Amino acid sequence: MPPAITHPDLPVTGEIASTVVDAAIDWMVKLEFNQPSAATRDAFDVWLNAQPVHAQAWERVHSLRKDFASVPRGMASDALHAVDKQRQANRLSRRQTLKILMLAGVAVTATWAVRDDVPWQRALADASTRVGEQRTMHLDDGTVLVLNTDTAVSFDMNGTQRRILLRRGEIMITTGDDITYKDKRSFWIDTPFGTMQALGTRFVVRLEDDRARISVQDGAVQMHPAKAKESLIANVGESWWLSDYAIESADTLGMRQDGWADGVIAGQNMRLDDLLAELSRYRRGRVVCDADVGDLRVSGIYHVRDTDQVLQFLLQTQPIKVTYYTRFWVAVASDRTR
Amino acid sequence: MASADSRHQLQVQVLYSDHNTWLQGWLRRKLGNAFDAADLAQDTFMRILARQEVPELREPRAFLSTIARGLVVEHWRRRELEQAWLETLAQLPEQEVPSPENRLQFLETLSAIDNMLDQLKPNIRTAFLLAQLDGLTCPQIAERIGVSLSTVERYLAAALRHCYTIRFGV
Repeated sequence: MPPAITHPDLPVTGEIASTVVDAAIDWMVKLEFNQPSAATRDAFDVWLNAQPVHAQAWERVHSLRKDFASVPRGMASDALHAVDKQRQANRLSRRQTLKILMLAGVAVTATWAVRDDVPWQRALADASTRVGEQRTMHLDDGTVLVLNTDTAVSFDMNGTQRRILLRRGEIMITTGDDITYKDKRSFWIDTPFGTMQALGTRFVVRLEDDRARISVQDGAVQMHPAKAKESLIANVGESWWLSDYAIESADTLGMRQDGWADGVIAGQNMRLDDLLAELSRYRRGRVVCDADVGDLRVSGIYHVRDTDQVLQFLLQTQPIKVTYYTRFWVAVASDRTR
Repeated sequence: MASADSRHQLQVQVLYSDHNTWLQGWLRRKLGNAFDAADLAQDTFMRILARQEVPELREPRAFLSTIARGLVVEHWRRRELEQAWLETLAQLPEQEVPSPENRLQFLETLSAIDNMLDQLKPNIRTAFLLAQLDGLTCPQIAERIGVSLSTVERYLAAALRHCYTIRFGV
């Protein structure tokens, strides 16, 4: 057990009758998690002063909230909501992985949890960006590598092959001519879900939880899933999902796949929830879209540098309301008055 | 008292020398790495040592693995929280990132909160976090998670009652 939280200023011993504790808790809910009326406050004062044990119970219940106050609000909330979400996802993916492994008749071990180690990816990387940041890098072989928001990569450009490992996020690669080497070396991108070889090219690779998306703007890319023998060539204008076992055609959701390299989300007839999901990659915290406005359609060019401005713009042009619950948490819902 | 104590220590020592290697192997298979396995094996014996007595053991390995399994769950929970915490820090703008010692202290507090709320049903836990950490009022939470106002109030009371019981007993 980790150490319990203790308060030296409060006596820990001595029981208070549970009816009194329950009453104190009810008051807490009424007073501090609601907006109490003056009458409620007066009634509380009467209760509080009725017996010394009431005050004692109130003090104890109140002290519980101190435990939470020592971590800055936004951070504590983000971390605990995130861990809940992560645990839910882990449970699902464990169940799913288990199913796949059992189907394949493979012995189940604990090592498949390794891929969940998200934050370390940045620490291990040669180059990375934070949320909302983008970065362009010029590598020695002439390759131009653009890192999108919240991305981490490692590279090994000194061997007999050129290799980039995408650990997290999204990159655009324009392969260089590699003129300083006698024979032009092959160029590979590795991801957790498979690997791909660039065949003279410009393309975008983006990691999601269980697959990678490859979109080719110029040239071609040969894709190899991590756990299957097949491979497939992606040509100009195509988008594909690469996962452990398969390659499937990817829906671009109406968005230009390399728009982000110009600092924009650009698209035609995009679903609002897709646009907001995309937008939220560029800002700290979450943007939650209610289901009943998710399928509103939007077209246009939205700058990712100022996501609040985009939200304001959408607010003015769509029948929605935008609620900022906290700095890190924005909810978009239907505005029934319009 | 002194002789009971030393008898207890002796029992734990015997357990340790007979089964430590086995336990580390068992944990290594669960965790996938030897360092954490060695740590948790150590913790398992420390926890038994902290008890008043070791029950008469017909199946010492079943006893050890029961305690160790609990520690493995805690270990994963803690790692999940650490990951979420690092993620949160990574999303902060540079000037808002807390100092290293504060970071550690916050993580400890979060871990204590996380454990305190562990037993709560997901909806109750979410409602309580929204109230306590996001500062939402009951009507806002009701709208957010799609339940009635009185249900939210019941959730919050249940969460507070749970925390109270952990902290002060019945």
